[in-house]
Amino acid sequence: MYELVSTVKRDYIVDLARQGKRTDARALDQYREVSVETGLIESAQGSALVKIGNTQVLAGVKIEKGEPFPDTPSSGVLMVNAELRPIASPTFELGPPDENSIELARVVDRGIRESEAIDLDKLGITPGEEVWMVYIDLHALDHDGNLIDAASLAAVAALWNVKKLQVEGWTLEEFPVVKKPVAVTIAKIDGKLMVDPSLDEQNVMDARLTITTTEDDSICAMQKGGIGYLTVEEIKTAYELARAKAAELRKHLG
Amino acid sequence: MLYAQNREIVIPGQLIAEGSHSIYGGAFKEGNRIYSSVIGLMNVRGQDIRVVPLGGRYVPRQGDVVIGVVMDSHHSGWILDLNSPYVGNLFVSDLAGRKVDLDKEDINQFLSMGDVVMAEIRDVDERMRVLLDAAGPGMGKIRGGKMVEISSAKVPRVIGKKGSMATVLQSTSGCKIKVGQNGRIMVWGDDQRMVNAVVEALLMIEREAHTSGLTDRVKQFLEKMKLEGK
Amino acid sequence: MMEKPEKLIVDGKRLDGRSPDELRPLKIEAGVLKRADGSAYVEMGKNKVLAAVYGPRELHPRHLQQPDTAILRCRYNMAPFSVDERKRPGPDRRSVEISKVIREAFEPVVFTKLYPRSGIDVFIEVLQADAGTRTAGINAAAVALADAGVPMRDLVSSVAVGKVDDTIVLDLMKDEDNYGTTDMPIAMLPRKKVITLLQMDGHFTPEEFERAIELAMKGCEQIYEVQKQALKAKYSTKPEEE
Repeated sequence: MYELVSTVKRDYIVDLARQGKRTDARALDQYREVSVETGLIESAQGSALVKIGNTQVLAGVKIEKGEPFPDTPSSGVLMVNAELRPIASPTFELGPPDENSIELARVVDRGIRESEAIDLDKLGITPGEEVWMVYIDLHALDHDGNLIDAASLAAVAALWNVKKLQVEGWTLEEFPVVKKPVAVTIAKIDGKLMVDPSLDEQNVMDARLTITTTEDDSICAMQKGGIGYLTVEEIKTAYELARAKAAELRKHLG
Repeated sequence: MLYAQNREIVIPGQLIAEGSHSIYGGAFKEGNRIYSSVIGLMNVRGQDIRVVPLGGRYVPRQGDVVIGVVMDSHHSGWILDLNSPYVGNLFVSDLAGRKVDLDKEDINQFLSMGDVVMAEIRDVDERMRVLLDAAGPGMGKIRGGKMVEISSAKVPRVIGKKGSMATVLQSTSGCKIKVGQNGRIMVWGDDQRMVNAVVEALLMIEREAHTSGLTDRVKQFLEKMKLEGK
Repeated sequence: MMEKPEKLIVDGKRLDGRSPDELRPLKIEAGVLKRADGSAYVEMGKNKVLAAVYGPRELHPRHLQQPDTAILRCRYNMAPFSVDERKRPGPDRRSVEISKVIREAFEPVVFTKLYPRSGIDVFIEVLQADAGTRTAGINAAAVALADAGVPMRDLVSSVAVGKVDDTIVLDLMKDEDNYGTTDMPIAMLPRKKVITLLQMDGHFTPEEFERAIELAMKGCEQIYEVQKQALKAKYSTKPEEE
């Protein structure tokens, strides 16, 4: 289902953007209020609830034993899944994951996998037979824009929330999470770049760019979305923004 | 016999009275007993009992002035989203205020998808088909301004007794507002800060509609914002 | 898998210290989500359940519309991380059945005739499970429907009773559900004291059943008080002072 946006709303947001302003009086480089709460789901090995403004995403980490991939017999396996269910928005429908849930899961996955945030080599049990499987399930609870950043932050916070594991006689003394990759999404509206698009902004933007960086400012993942385009200059500006904002968001990870 | 007091917050299924009262709003009778059907404010005037709902979606009523968004068009008119379970039907002659020769004139010159229209509800039938009239004074396509959506249940509070709240909102802020019964409100103003202040005031009214002294608080808030801007 | 405990009731106390007629700690909050028309969050013991209501709203696809009434739809879902062994995302047969009986628990109370051709959607997400998730879901959904302003004849309150070590107990927790002999969730309309959901598996003599129903209804009455408070609490916040 698509989101009906009135011309009046669209014009209003674009007019403000032209003046370098936003409808909720935020600066172009300002996030809505961010909060991170961890350990709230006992049935999960790690969990985190992230709120960015009214957007809420809950991440749960389940760690179970499973079979490794044939080409990496001693490495653990990471799987990221996203549920965009109708509870969070009238635009989400029941059914198998659509392109938005799949993109969301894969972007979060990329940030964690490419940055090697989890040392998967430390998650082997019996080479070729048994390894630890790390499932990250992202559950959107309330959609008011920028689910990607909320989901990424929740996933990483949930990973860092995992304590010593004891499952069926095998003990994992320390869960090997070593990095804090942070995704920052920037939207382009009428040539202006702004971070953390709200739902209204997301519905009128030309394009968005999500950049995931690690503590040393290196980029581990990027994703452009939306039907518009970005210039090289815009992408460079976006990187500078992402670097600065990632450092701020990372503080919420403790 | 009353079991709930005037201005008490009542919940669905709560016994509020017994006997021969006339009931309005979110109340229903079972035999001799009267119950609330919604979470609402109990309102007693003589023999009349009204439960004013504190929430709920907008249900179109004849005579209401609403703000709709064009979501579809057909041969002779448009379908408008009313922020309601029910859409509004607007025929081109009810927008133009005259007979339109569909062979000679293209209706797309009047409205496009996403356009915002202020209209009066001319009729609602028992199948909830809504007929709109946008040809009257002050009606028609809306240009510019910021649109705010609040719960339609709170609109009476935004208008106030004899328009008192709407007056306070406009005169204190210097902005102009137009209120739709379906919870959509347009705000126009030259000073962006004051437009945002009015939006905040509207959200405050939505949150605190059931409390007293609200008009004064809104006035104080807007005056404070005006001073801070100087 | 934990081994079955020798006894589930020792010296009149259950494994978590409760007496047989005691509810687990219950917490309910109304209006916790912004996009939904109404919402509620419930913690019943270790259960953490979120309910959201959208509607009445236009019903799609068109052919599902009923000319004189709203259609009530309910979807119960468990998050993959809500249980010990990760649950694969997506509906399974258990969720489909639970969705149906929950919907039927609300059919008698919602004034569907007031909204012809529309749909009222109830979504229940179990974020953490510890037996009795459908009862927690119903308690949340009732508050969410009221929060959404959907007119109802009454709220709906729900709890499960069962039998462990030959004792009738109220509000089963996970171990009791797994190792006890009987599990019976019920839902009740607090005002008329009529039952709108009843399921049972296990064994009851007629006399045990009567005691169990009585105990369940007492439990529902206590839950109703918490639901009422949650709804009123949303509107009792003091207006912001300058």
